[in-house]
Amino acid sequence: MFSSFLQERTRREVLQLSAAGVFTAGMSGWMRVLADKVATTPATKGKHKSCILLWMDGGPSHKDTFDLKPDSKGAGEFKPIKTSADGIQISEHLPKVAEVMKHGVLVRGMSTPEGAHGRAKYYAHTGFREGQGGVTYPSLGAIVSQQLGKPEATVPNYVAIAGRSFGSGFLGPKHQPLMVQAPDKGLEDLKALVSNTQFDKRVDLLKQMEEAFHREYKVDPVNDHKTTYDRAVTLMQSKEAKAFDITQEAAATRAKYGSGKFADGVVMARRLVEVGVPFVEVALGGWDTHLDNFTRVKSLSQQVDAALSSLILDLKDRGLLDSTLVVWMGEFGRTPNINTRGAKPGRDHFPRAWNLAMFGGGLKGGQVVGKTDKEGAEVVERKTTAQDFLATVCDLLGIDHTKENITPNGRPIKLVDKPNPFTKLVV
Amino acid sequence: MRRNSFLILTFLAGTALFSVSEIGVSAQVPNAKKALKQLAKAQAEAKKAEDAKKAQADAKKAEEAKRTTAAKKKSDSDDELAPLKPALIGGKKDTTAVAKFIDDQIAAKLAAEKMTASPTCTDEEFLRRTYVDISGVIPTAEQAKAFLADKTPGKRAKLIDDLLASPNFGQHQADIWMGLLVQRTSDSRRVDFGSLRTWLAEEFNANKSWDVIATDIVTATGEQEKNPAVGFYLSNNTVDKMTDELCKSFLGVQLQCAQCHDHKFNDWKQTEYWAMAQFFMKVQVAGLGKDAKPTVDEKPVVRRNKMNALPESAKMVEPKFLQGPSPSIGLKDPARPTLAKWMTGPTNPFFARAMVNRVWGELFGRGIVNPVDDMVGQNLPSHPEMLTGLAADFAANAFDVKHLVRSVCNSSAYQRSSKSTAGNEKAGPQLYATMAVKVLSPEQLFDSLAVVTKFDAKAGGPAARDKMVKGFAPAARDRFVNFFLAGAEMVSLTEYEAGIPQALKLMNSRQTAGGNPQAVRAVVGSSRGAEAIEKIYLATLSRFPTDAEKARLGEYVSKASLSQDGLADVLWAVLNSSEFTLNR
Repeated sequence: MFSSFLQERTRREVLQLSAAGVFTAGMSGWMRVLADKVATTPATKGKHKSCILLWMDGGPSHKDTFDLKPDSKGAGEFKPIKTSADGIQISEHLPKVAEVMKHGVLVRGMSTPEGAHGRAKYYAHTGFREGQGGVTYPSLGAIVSQQLGKPEATVPNYVAIAGRSFGSGFLGPKHQPLMVQAPDKGLEDLKALVSNTQFDKRVDLLKQMEEAFHREYKVDPVNDHKTTYDRAVTLMQSKEAKAFDITQEAAATRAKYGSGKFADGVVMARRLVEVGVPFVEVALGGWDTHLDNFTRVKSLSQQVDAALSSLILDLKDRGLLDSTLVVWMGEFGRTPNINTRGAKPGRDHFPRAWNLAMFGGGLKGGQVVGKTDKEGAEVVERKTTAQDFLATVCDLLGIDHTKENITPNGRPIKLVDKPNPFTKLVV
Repeated sequence: MRRNSFLILTFLAGTALFSVSEIGVSAQVPNAKKALKQLAKAQAEAKKAEDAKKAQADAKKAEEAKRTTAAKKKSDSDDELAPLKPALIGGKKDTTAVAKFIDDQIAAKLAAEKMTASPTCTDEEFLRRTYVDISGVIPTAEQAKAFLADKTPGKRAKLIDDLLASPNFGQHQADIWMGLLVQRTSDSRRVDFGSLRTWLAEEFNANKSWDVIATDIVTATGEQEKNPAVGFYLSNNTVDKMTDELCKSFLGVQLQCAQCHDHKFNDWKQTEYWAMAQFFMKVQVAGLGKDAKPTVDEKPVVRRNKMNALPESAKMVEPKFLQGPSPSIGLKDPARPTLAKWMTGPTNPFFARAMVNRVWGELFGRGIVNPVDDMVGQNLPSHPEMLTGLAADFAANAFDVKHLVRSVCNSSAYQRSSKSTAGNEKAGPQLYATMAVKVLSPEQLFDSLAVVTKFDAKAGGPAARDKMVKGFAPAARDRFVNFFLAGAEMVSLTEYEAGIPQALKLMNSRQTAGGNPQAVRAVVGSSRGAEAIEKIYLATLSRFPTDAEKARLGEYVSKASLSQDGLADVLWAVLNSSEFTLNR
């Protein structure tokens, strides 16, 4: 009774708001359920915040990236180097990132319960164990889209580039990521199949048909359909759509980021943030280095080094670094010991202790949160869970993570469940 | 009301049982292929023996339930559903009587609310609606034309029969049930569930009794290669997921919140959850990895490895049926057959109601209890007597799904116009004064687009739908459906939920946009002018264009430099219109 009452009531309220022109976007069933939440979301204080998540798919080795242990048993081949932040050392294969380290915070005490890729990715993205309580949970991107995104925005509020991200779960299709598979080719299906003139004619025809149909059937799906098509056509013809076209970027700028899908994706992410997209995720795969860890991590680090450092500097140049949180992370770390099963040394999955890096977004840079032991095997200071981390990200973006969403069957779910954020340590 | 009738129903339940199962058995042999017939026969015989036992057990159970209820009466028992008393409406599989029952029930409530019903829908509305609802796909232009031209009385009932007999009926049910039974998780990402879809389609097409289908799924054991029904467990591979999905899909109750704590809005207690979960404690799932043979077993001792881990919230309690007694199950005996027997028993308070409510929900866009899988607690049915009556008839007719669909579709309520009429614009949807306007599911949309544009070979073959009937689900269809579902748990039947990416795909994708010369050729052949426009409308919207549309679009096409281009524009616009994507 309670849940259905809530749904019916908010639906009506939303319709009233809609009629009053408050909402220009269509209200889906999902938004109906969440309407009271959306309606009461206060405008973000100050500047509009954004987040770029650089997702290191496969689980990057912490001991070979941001938490080197040169004196440990499984130290590996890489040497630590100094960074622009006092007392912080990172891998020698991240020299340009070292230069921007003063803008960043390292979290070296990550410790999570999931050791299989699929479940670990889900957990890191949502803060919930997969399958827990029979609910499909929204990923961070969907939460940001819901909380910070403008319903009427030309570009969708959550874009995922060069990989598969986790979706919006019970928040529904409106907060699903817009996927870009090949960033050098732009957004799929963004261009009309026919000339612009002919496309305009087609859209006019469609509009006439819609008007006639709507005169006979005054039902919500017709309105919602119209709204969605309006937004899609607007996007096609908008200047914001150009953000998806990285060929418009100067060749020299693109070159700074490196080459390949990831580099192109990071360029696109920056362009999207510049037009106001609140959440962009870019994936770099290949970190599952059971075999040949060092050759592969070196080459991956070089890709990260160029793209991440250029991103930070470009955001800074554009005055966007303070309002854009950049996160570098994967689903877990890798074993402190080196396996010698194969021809070349490797490292295996290790969720018990791992690291991630954050830049910009109003952080007080040049700090480290948490600490692992000598081997990089146990967290000895400030153990940080996925919930702690996600809540901190929410804090930094100006999202109240204690808020609850209501699932379609009327169940309240906190944005982040029982976290202990470390926000105070880093701002 | 419900509470008052409870004791009487319980009393009658035991005696009513036996005759009902007799009817059930004879009604069970379907008009299908020989092999299926034999299979059904064998199962029917097995069931006969089982039913006799069941009757005894159920009588005992009813006794016990009575006692439990008496004990519970002190606390509020509003949440308890009464055991079902199977009873035919009219004669055996009496479509006309059931349809009339529905209409009487709905009319009574409309009268009580002083609300007028919209008039009967036009043949055009009826045609597209039934095709989409029963066979999951719009009619071809030829099918549409033939039906509209037909002047025979009773042609609507005949179309319903024809569609129920078409293999697309089973395909459409398989789509619905795959969505319910199979959850893509990281554990099951390597499992191919295609065989489960094929199996479901065949079962529904053969009109296998719903209790038989459900039992086969719930008790499924063995290698997936030999028994596709184990797919349910391969997808829901832990005790909690099995419990959640069984309760949701077959019993129509949302129990999952009670996994970790007592339910806040309903009466579910955590112990009730884990008492149901006990029936799955012996299920062992194996072979979900690469190059492995997916298998489901029921064993006295399950290896609790990563794959069969118990959730942290697990509690070890006595197995107990939901709002029912505790059966005794030997330590070494499988538990699921006992569960299935209870679940599919004709007096089970949930099973028949859940299916009736779900089928109703699919056809009307909302359940008699809405949401359809939250039947208990304070979520009350709009027409409680109708729900119970239909469930009783469904059980008394041996859970005959086609009979259920046929009866509902033959009702005036189903055949009502979806346009509101003077005075009923503000009628709540639960009054059924007008037919709901529904949104095509991703599967319905893909198949309908395929029927119109005859997708090119790359996108799934020229006749994607025909191939699927033979059990082949082209990858293109899966990709399309996933893109439209976009990871959502469920699609709404009455809300348009597609976003910008989906709209872009429909407008601009070479595969689906349909505004290209090949698609135009496929639809209009060599026709031009008014005739071509008429063909486009019949093929897409299953109706003739109005005079105004004919004039306007005729002029548009004649102005185009190439009439092919003009027609392509029209086809593109129609395929992207809300009229196409909606089921009115």
